[in-house]
Formats: sequence, C-alpha cells, structure tokens
Amino acid sequence: MNRRTFLRQGAALSGGLLLSGCLGQLGFETQSAWRDPPLVEDRPDAVYYPAIIEGMGMYGTTTAGDLGFALMHSFPHRFWNLTGSRKTKVVVQSDDSVHLMASVWDTETETILPVDVSVEISNSDGRVSSTNLWPMISPNMGFHYGDNIALPGEGQYDVTLQIGPLQTARTNPFDGRFTEGQSATMQFTFDTDETYNLEIRRLGDKAGTRGTVDLMDMEMVPEPVVPTKSELPGRLLHEGQSSDATILVALVDGDHRFSDSDGPFLIVSPRTPYNRVMLPRMALSATLDRGGDTITQGTLQASLDPDLGSFYGMGLDELETGDTVRLTVETPPQLARHDGYETAFLDMDPVEFTVE
Amino acid sequence: MSDERGIPRREFLKSAIAIGGTAAFSACLGREEVDVPTGPDDLSSYPQRQHAWNEVLPRDDHGNIIAPSHRVLLYLNYRRDGQPNEDDRDQVETALRGIEHAYERSGDGLLLTVSYSPAYFYRFDDSLPDDVDLPDPEALAPFEEPEFDTPDAVVHLASNTAQVVLGAEEALKGNKSTLNGVDQPDAALTDVFSLADRRTGFIGDGLPAENADDAEGVPADKVPEDAPLFMGFKSGFKKNQASEDRVTIQSGPFAGGTTQHISKLQLNLNQWYNQDDRWQREAKMFCPYHAENDVIEGAGDNLGTSSKIDDCQPTDETAREMGVVGHSQKSARARDDDDSPLILRRDFDSTDGGAASLHFLALQRRITDFVDTREAMNGTDVTEQSAVGQRNNNGILQYIRTERRGNFLVPPRSLRALPPGQPAGDAQEVTHESS
Ligand code: HEM
Ligand SMILES: [Cu+2]
Repeated sequence: MNRRTFLRQGAALSGGLLLSGCLGQLGFETQSAWRDPPLVEDRPDAVYYPAIIEGMGMYGTTTAGDLGFALMHSFPHRFWNLTGSRKTKVVVQSDDSVHLMASVWDTETETILPVDVSVEISNSDGRVSSTNLWPMISPNMGFHYGDNIALPGEGQYDVTLQIGPLQTARTNPFDGRFTEGQSATMQFTFDTDETYNLEIRRLGDKAGTRGTVDLMDMEMVPEPVVPTKSELPGRLLHEGQSSDATILVALVDGDHRFSDSDGPFLIVSPRTPYNRVMLPRMALSATLDRGGDTITQGTLQASLDPDLGSFYGMGLDELETGDTVRLTVETPPQLARHDGYETAFLDMDPVEFTVE
Repeated sequence: MSDERGIPRREFLKSAIAIGGTAAFSACLGREEVDVPTGPDDLSSYPQRQHAWNEVLPRDDHGNIIAPSHRVLLYLNYRRDGQPNEDDRDQVETALRGIEHAYERSGDGLLLTVSYSPAYFYRFDDSLPDDVDLPDPEALAPFEEPEFDTPDAVVHLASNTAQVVLGAEEALKGNKSTLNGVDQPDAALTDVFSLADRRTGFIGDGLPAENADDAEGVPADKVPEDAPLFMGFKSGFKKNQASEDRVTIQSGPFAGGTTQHISKLQLNLNQWYNQDDRWQREAKMFCPYHAENDVIEGAGDNLGTSSKIDDCQPTDETAREMGVVGHSQKSARARDDDDSPLILRRDFDSTDGGAASLHFLALQRRITDFVDTREAMNGTDVTEQSAVGQRNNNGILQYIRTERRGNFLVPPRSLRALPPGQPAGDAQEVTHESS
C-alpha cells in the first residue's frame, strides 16, 4: 500500500476531513490521517509495533573532510518531542511537505556521530527554509536527525547540512577528531510522486504488541547500532533492562584505550531492544557499594568510540566480587520519538547488580 | 502606496517602517494622530552618551524601561577612501542635527545612535586606544557560520512613533526640506555615505502578532496577542539588564561611548510554537523551575522587575536532572562582581526579507563582555556533562540561527561624526563609576 491509498482509507478510519496546505497547494487532498494518524490503543510502556511503518527514500550522500552526510526523505510524520521525560506530540502542520532526515558519520570508522545537524534549503529564488533538525529515533531508521519541512513546491533544491563539534568525550583513537564544525552541500529534487508514493506498511494485528521492525537497509549509510554483547570489550558484568532499554555493563582492565588513567574502566552501553540502536543523549550516574558502604559515586561520561559507538564510561579505582553497582538514569535519551518508541525509555528505573 | 486599502492603522504603521520611503512617511502622517514636539534650537544640553536613552523612555507599572517600538538600522559605507575630512564631518553632524531639531529626544520623539565598525577604523594609521575593545566580528558558537557586517557605520533610529523614524530617515537621505515643520539643512548623510543595508523592526506588546503575516512560516495564530516579542515572552526586565553606566567606556578619548554588537538571528517559530508546548517554552526560555511552578503568566508581566532567575537551580543540576537548561538561566551566569549582567539589550524583532527574525542589538563596555555572555548562553560546558544537546533542550538555541554579526563603536556624542582613530584629549565624560 502506498501513502495515497492509505490517505484515502484514513478518512474511513477517523471520519474527519481536513485539507492540508502542502498537498492542497500541490493539487492533492489529504485527510486528517495525514495530520495525526491513528495511534494504536493500549500501547505498552515499551518498544512496540506501530500501526504503520512509513517508507523512506534516499536523496543522496556526500562527504566533507572525513565525514559522511546522508539526506533522506519521507512524508511528513507525527513525532514526539522530548524534554527530560516530558513529551509533546508534534502533529503534521498543514504546510509541511516532507519529513527530511540526515545522518552524519566518520568515514574512516563508519561511526555514526551524535552531533546536531542544521539544514539550510534554497532554490533559484533564494532561501526557502532553514531549521535545526531534532535528534530522533524511529523503528525502521533508528537514530537519525529530522524534522517536517515546508517547501514552496516541487523542484530542485540546494541544501547545506551543518554540524558543530562533537559534544561528548571520545576515546583514544578519536583523539583530536570532531573538534570543529563542518558543512556539506547537496542537491535534491522534491517530487511528490516520489515522496508520497513511498511504501506504507500496515502491521495489522501486530500493531501495539511489543517488538519492532528491522532497520531499513541503507547501503551507503552505516547503521546507527552498537555492538552485540559478545563484541563488547573486557568482561561482561551485567545485562540489565530499564524502561525496555537494554543496558549492557562491561569492565575493562589492564591496558586499554578508554581513559588516560590506569585502573579498571566501567563501560555502560545502552541500546534499544531487538535492533541494538544506539541511545545517545542520556545522563547516567553510578554508585558503587561495598559491604554496605558507598565507596564511589559519580557521573558516567558520555563518549564515542570507533568500536563501541555511543557509550557511557567511568574510571574506577578497583572493583571486587561482591560489590554492588547501581546505575541511575538521570535523563532518559533526549531523542524525539517516532511512533513505536514514544512509550519506551522514559521513566527509567535504576539498574542494580552485584559483581560476580 | 495607497492608504485607502482598509489596512488597520497599527498594522499599516509597522509595515510602513519595513517599506520605508517618502510615500510611506506621508501615509503615516495621515494615520498617526500624534504631535511630536520639535527638538530644541540649542542641543548643547544633550548627553555625551549617545546611548543614554533610558532617562527619556517611558516605564511600565513595575519600573521596567519600555523599549522604543519602531526601529531602523542604516548600514552605511563612507564614500571616500582613506581618512575622513572636516567637510564630511561637518556634513554628517549638520545632517544629524537637522533631525534632532525636528524631533525632541524622547520615546515618542527620536532616539538615535551613530556607530562605527572596526573596518572604518582601519583607515587610520593609529589603532584604536586601549580603552576601546572593538575586534572584528567572529563566529561565537562552534556550530554557527554567520556572515560578517563590515560597512563603516550604522545609524540606529528608534521611536514609539513610526513617522518619526521614517521622517528622520528620509531627512538623512536628503529627501525632506522640512521635517515636523522644522527646516532641514542642505546636508544629507547619504552625500557622505552610501547605503549598504537597511534593517527594520519592532518590539512592543502586540506588535509581533500583528506583524506575523508579513513573514513566512510564522504560526500567526500562535504568537500571543499581547506579547512584545515573537517568542512570546517579555524581555528586558530592569534587573536583567546592564545599566547604561555599566556599558559605558570609562576612560580615554572615547569615554562616554560604548560598544555595540548587532547580530541577525533567524527564528524558527514553527518549531517553537507547533512542536513545543508551553511547559517546554517556559523551561527553555527561563528555566525548568519556572515551568514546573507556573511562575510565568502569559508573556510574563507578572514577573515584575526580574526574570526571577534566582529561583532556578544551577544550570548543571537542571541539565542532569531535568535534561534542559533555560536561556535566561544560562545567560545569567555572565554577570559581574556586583551581580550585574554585562550587556544592555536593545534588540527587536523583524520581518525583513519575509522571515521572522530578531536583530539582537546589545551594548556593552567591551565587545569581550558580549562574547562572554554569548559563551554562557552557548552552554557548551553544560552539554559536555549532561543529555542537553548543543541546541536541543539548550535554552533557545534550537530555534535561532545566527545569520550575521557585526561589531561597532558608539563614540561619545562629540565624536559621532566620522571620528578619528586616536582623538586628541579625553572626552568630558562624567561617570558614576571609577573602574
Ligand atoms: C530570539 C532571541 C532571544 C530572545 C527571545 C531572548 C529572550 C530573553 C528573555 C525572555 C530573557 C529573560 C527576561 C529578561 O530579558 O529580563 C532573556 C534574558 C537574557 N538574554 Fe536573551 N533572548 C534572546 C537572545 C539572546 C542573545 C543572542 C543573547 C546574547 C548573548 C541574550 C542574552 C541575554 C541576557 C544576558 C539575559 C539576562 C541574563 C541575566 O539575567 O543576567 N539573549 N532573554
Ligand atoms: Cu524522523
């Protein structure tokens, strides 16, 4: 099924009829399904299959310096914007034309960078739109940057994607990297036939049940995922769950690349269930108890590593068998959520375990 | 431009400013029923500080200064290469005095400053005295790529009366032989300068909502009817502004002057109003405490004389615990030992080029004070230790894009016409501060 057939059916679903500016302008009529499509009833407080999965198209990729940039499109989407654990439902505005998405990565190591992306779009008449994209997560795209954008019509556009330096720490192999802003320019043609005919998958009975679809295969863009359990360095201490996020905890000892100081280093690698999508933009802290006394307490440093991707870490003096580690989530991942992720990773309970 | 099209009066006035010209001016005359007193014949009592506007501006019920509502910025290039000559200086001073004779110095009358860029001062062999901190403009955040304004001079015209701003501008361009019944000199600013750019704007209760239709992408129905700025909140409370003393240069030949930074910030009001809710707007503009405790009513007039930023927790705490830091909360970290902000904001909204934007005009003793304040507002330190993004949940950085930046020196009045780089002697500035 494509978007248009879906839109026609949307009227039956919700009964309402609402003329949406962007399509009205372009000669289409859309229904309220466009603006605020039906939400699955009884959504679990977990990752779930949404009612529909929206297709995605690639506008192209480019490189600037040692960074790769990708620009993708889909039809305008509803999403949820997050501040702390407070979310706001963002419905599609009548003049939104396209859901524009971008990803940025290090070409050398294929590491996805959690750096805020802004876009400036112009055509032969001059600038038509500029916006700072939201960091987002969706079932088939995983972590990306995106926003719904209003364009004056179909046609060719120039776009400049701009990023600042990486705000997190980085491990040794990335020393001195991503310290400056970078921009890349691309062109794309907004063609409503192309964008609004993207496939829509209805998930039928699955909708609302726990789980999610596979990430889309994007040949040119690295997947925004973190390593499997067995790929983690050092010793796996624990596999925890919090608000449906999987939180892996590992300990590296001896010589390692994770900090300048000696001693064991605690690695915390949160990810989505099913697809191992990276979860940057969290604030985590750790408390270490031994024999009933707290011996260490501190914040975990958000960091980026070529093998681990986005992770959180902390150097320790020592860690003994029997010690209790308690990881507290002070801020859940500050990512705007597409349907299917808006009820997970919100009120995140601490993860606690005893070192074996 | 016909004024017979049934455009509501106020709405007409603000678009008249954006359009400008003699026709807009005469159309204004018919619509604004005001009688602005003329200025004095003898201007010698006018303050040395060109930026001494506060004493003649009206105040609200709480005692906050009400910023003049209509603005024009004229960006000017000196027509002559090399150093200015006395004839040109006379011409500039005469033209400026012409409009000062025409309109009294007041909120309803005319307020103006003339300022000069670092590029202007490069034409002198001597560099500026050490008392003047006026570097070339530069990018002030690692994620911005602004263009830099390098015209020689900027004239800032401000009034609560639209026709005053337009009339003054037309007279400076040599297009008026009389202004407000006062004969104008045969000296135009535009004989000495060419016009490089013209920027316009407005600030004041209700003006943004009325102007919303002039710009693309502004959710007109969402901009509150009574808000003084596009983003919906009152700004410029007494206690959150530097005093004019605080921003005045204290010593040297330019004592009594100040420095001025003007940036053009593009606003994303679609994200601000359609993608955030009221709680988020309050948390991001002020701080999460204000949002949690419903501290702000409407545009925030109930706050009184300050943004009540003392009630907010420290930025690093709210960043980690709430995932957000407020713009006011962050900016208030740039204060001096007396707990005074470093900059005096005289910013205003604009629909120039058909886009909602803000001309962020700030006065400070040294440009460094602005740079420090902007650094506090960037909150880079906060982002490194929390889930707060470079822009996302980081005050209002998500919604603004810096397009242009420029630095200028506002010399004391006696040096406002094409000042030399190293004027002889000290200006006779009497200040209350000794530093
Ligand atoms: C769209 C742009 C902006 C808007 C709507 C805005 C609005 C506000 C508001 C509502 C406040 C608190 C109330 C008050 O003014 O007293 C404030 C405070 C402040 N803002 Fe902005 N602002 C903007 C941009 C900037 C920029 C670019 C700077 C430059 C660094 C800045 C510096 C400050 C400072 C220094 C304070 C007072 C902090 C203190 O209390 O010490 N603002 N702003
Ligand atoms: Cu998205």
